[in-house]
Amino acid sequence: MSSEPPLLEVTDLRTTFSTDDGAVTAVDGVDFTVDDGQTVCIVGESGSGKTVATESVSRIIKSPPGQIEGSIRFRGREVTEMSEGELQSARGSNIAHIFQNPQDALNHCYTVGWQIMEAMQIHRDISEEAARERGIELLSEVGVANAAARFDDYPHEFSGGQKQRVMIAMALVTNPELLIADEPTTALDVTVQAEILSLLDRLQQEYEMGVLFVTHDLGVVAEIADHVVVMYAGKVMERGDVYEIFEDPSHPYTQALLECLPGQSKAVEGIGGSLPSVINPPDGCRFAPRCDHAVSACHSGDHPPEYEVDGDHKASCIYYGPGYDQSVVGGSGGKQGGGVADD
Amino acid sequence: MATQDPNKQFDQVDWEEINNSSGTSYSINALGTLVSIGAVLALVVYDILFVEQYTPTFAFVGWGYDVSQLDFLFAVSLIVFGFYGVLPLYQNKRMTRYYWRQFKKNRPALVSLVWLGFVFVVGILGPVFISAPEVALFQKYQPPAFMSIANNYPINCVGPVVDGACQGTLNHPFGTTRNGKDIFTMIVYGMQISMKIAFITTLIVITIGTAVGTTAAYAGGLIDEVLMRWVDIQQSFPTFILYLLILYIWGGGLFLFIVLFGLFAWEGTARYTRSNALSKVEEEYIKAVQLSGASTYRIVRRHVVPNTASSIITNVTLLIPVFILAEAQLAFLGLGDSTVPSWGQLISIGRNDLGFAPWITLAPGFVLFLTILAFNFLGDALLDALNPEANTESEG
Repeated sequence: MSSEPPLLEVTDLRTTFSTDDGAVTAVDGVDFTVDDGQTVCIVGESGSGKTVATESVSRIIKSPPGQIEGSIRFRGREVTEMSEGELQSARGSNIAHIFQNPQDALNHCYTVGWQIMEAMQIHRDISEEAARERGIELLSEVGVANAAARFDDYPHEFSGGQKQRVMIAMALVTNPELLIADEPTTALDVTVQAEILSLLDRLQQEYEMGVLFVTHDLGVVAEIADHVVVMYAGKVMERGDVYEIFEDPSHPYTQALLECLPGQSKAVEGIGGSLPSVINPPDGCRFAPRCDHAVSACHSGDHPPEYEVDGDHKASCIYYGPGYDQSVVGGSGGKQGGGVADD
Repeated sequence: MATQDPNKQFDQVDWEEINNSSGTSYSINALGTLVSIGAVLALVVYDILFVEQYTPTFAFVGWGYDVSQLDFLFAVSLIVFGFYGVLPLYQNKRMTRYYWRQFKKNRPALVSLVWLGFVFVVGILGPVFISAPEVALFQKYQPPAFMSIANNYPINCVGPVVDGACQGTLNHPFGTTRNGKDIFTMIVYGMQISMKIAFITTLIVITIGTAVGTTAAYAGGLIDEVLMRWVDIQQSFPTFILYLLILYIWGGGLFLFIVLFGLFAWEGTARYTRSNALSKVEEEYIKAVQLSGASTYRIVRRHVVPNTASSIITNVTLLIPVFILAEAQLAFLGLGDSTVPSWGQLISIGRNDLGFAPWITLAPGFVLFLTILAFNFLGDALLDALNPEANTESEG
């Protein structure tokens, strides 16, 4: 690899919000890295801290009440120590975002063209005509038919999928190195989802961007991810290559998530119980109260550290630690056999 | 359908080339405003430095009109209104057509708009073409056209005298005052005064109210706290007493009234703007622009303000009649500027003659009433047209 520092390196990220009821630790000691051209998916159910984790990366969390600790290194530069001005110049130009709800992410006071041009003009001193020309080009490249005519239309004249295309065009105006996509397909119907995903996939290759993709949809993960980080209640439960995660889910939580996927022979089962309190998280493993395999050791002490399952494939489950039999939770240590998501 | 050609490659943008082709450009609105206000300022400087105190400003072209401070302020507010109120309507024809369709549905508002347009045009141009009302004691108490008064009140009846009653003529369509001043002319002059009050106070209130309200909403925290407490303090401050104080110590006129009441009336607008902006600040598109690296000024100016503009406009439209009425009330109480022929002044002049010459009070009173009504109708219609979601709260 190149001698350049890695694209994004997040270590021990801890994001807390002070509320009247006490401090809420939405993200509790999370590590992950994104390399150039790599797609990293953060998966987890609602409320597990995925969005807060990505918003911490560009420091968009309001402070107070939010507080970000730990280290976020973008190309070796420490984001947590950047000044407001440095942040502003990094946002949009190096790190671009697309959002869950394209309906709300465009300002309905302005035409989409105006907004695309604005995104350009924030970072470059560019003339109106050049920005317009480039904007129309981008709009047609993200697949908006008849781009020149639609450039001066208002957001309400676009469909949800088209708005997401516009958002993507806006994100790409400055050739960002890292694209953070926060559930970009959740608000769209399935056929449009597939189009947007393939668009993102194509753009990623052409732009050689790193993509940090947040979703709760394992189908989407299977489609686009290189690397998967499974989050639950602010903690990383399991991480690994996308094949490892699907072929050999090692953490009981990942297994339970995969069991929730429809389209398997057995009936779909939800995970019993609900997310633990974020103000007073339970002792021990966060998932223990809902885990079928939990033993008494799971309910005390700290959340288990990440144990190696196989190479980069890690699970933060006590069964992978010393003195436990990992076969109890179905872990096969790299051998094929988890079998939950077999095709 | 949408991803037509999956093999099509993005060409990398050659920013070098594009950067060279550009230059920072200002919008025509900003440029026009700056240039026009610059011209006005130049005239102010010229008026102060080179023109002697009682010489008309435009003496060098032979126009005997001495431009007052108020006129300069009025010119500035008209310029801002023109470039940021009227020009955008022309620049954005599609939205204008849409708003117009919504607005047209409200008939009273349409009539109101015509009336206010009439008051505006006549108020601006009238005093240029009609010479100021003059004292003509021999022609006092002339009745309005088609009315009559016992012939012992006027000294010289302009119209015919029938059965000992002086008949009104079209020379003085609304009659004359105790001094023989033509009421119609005074009303026309009063139109300009009312428009000055409306435009200048609006400019002051919108500028300060919007700036304070949106800044407080967007910044939050300590800044919000400080600004809003300042608003609280100012709102509980008795402007009227301050006005009286200044009036008695230094004397004052319409300029004092307009500036003082403008500077002490933006609190409600600021508060209203803040509450509206607060909900907009939470919108995802604000987060989206933050994440595209926009500066705070840009976010507030380009995104928060335009999204709250509709509510600010309707709020201020409903504030204008309050100012015009306040001026009329002060004038009626004798606390106004006796040198300017405002409607309130005229109403107060006619107060003692109400028994036999009611038109002196009624004519300007009626015009005042119509104007206030028109502003209120206009405000309601704007609320419907610009801010449909506010309908439910306004009805009730």
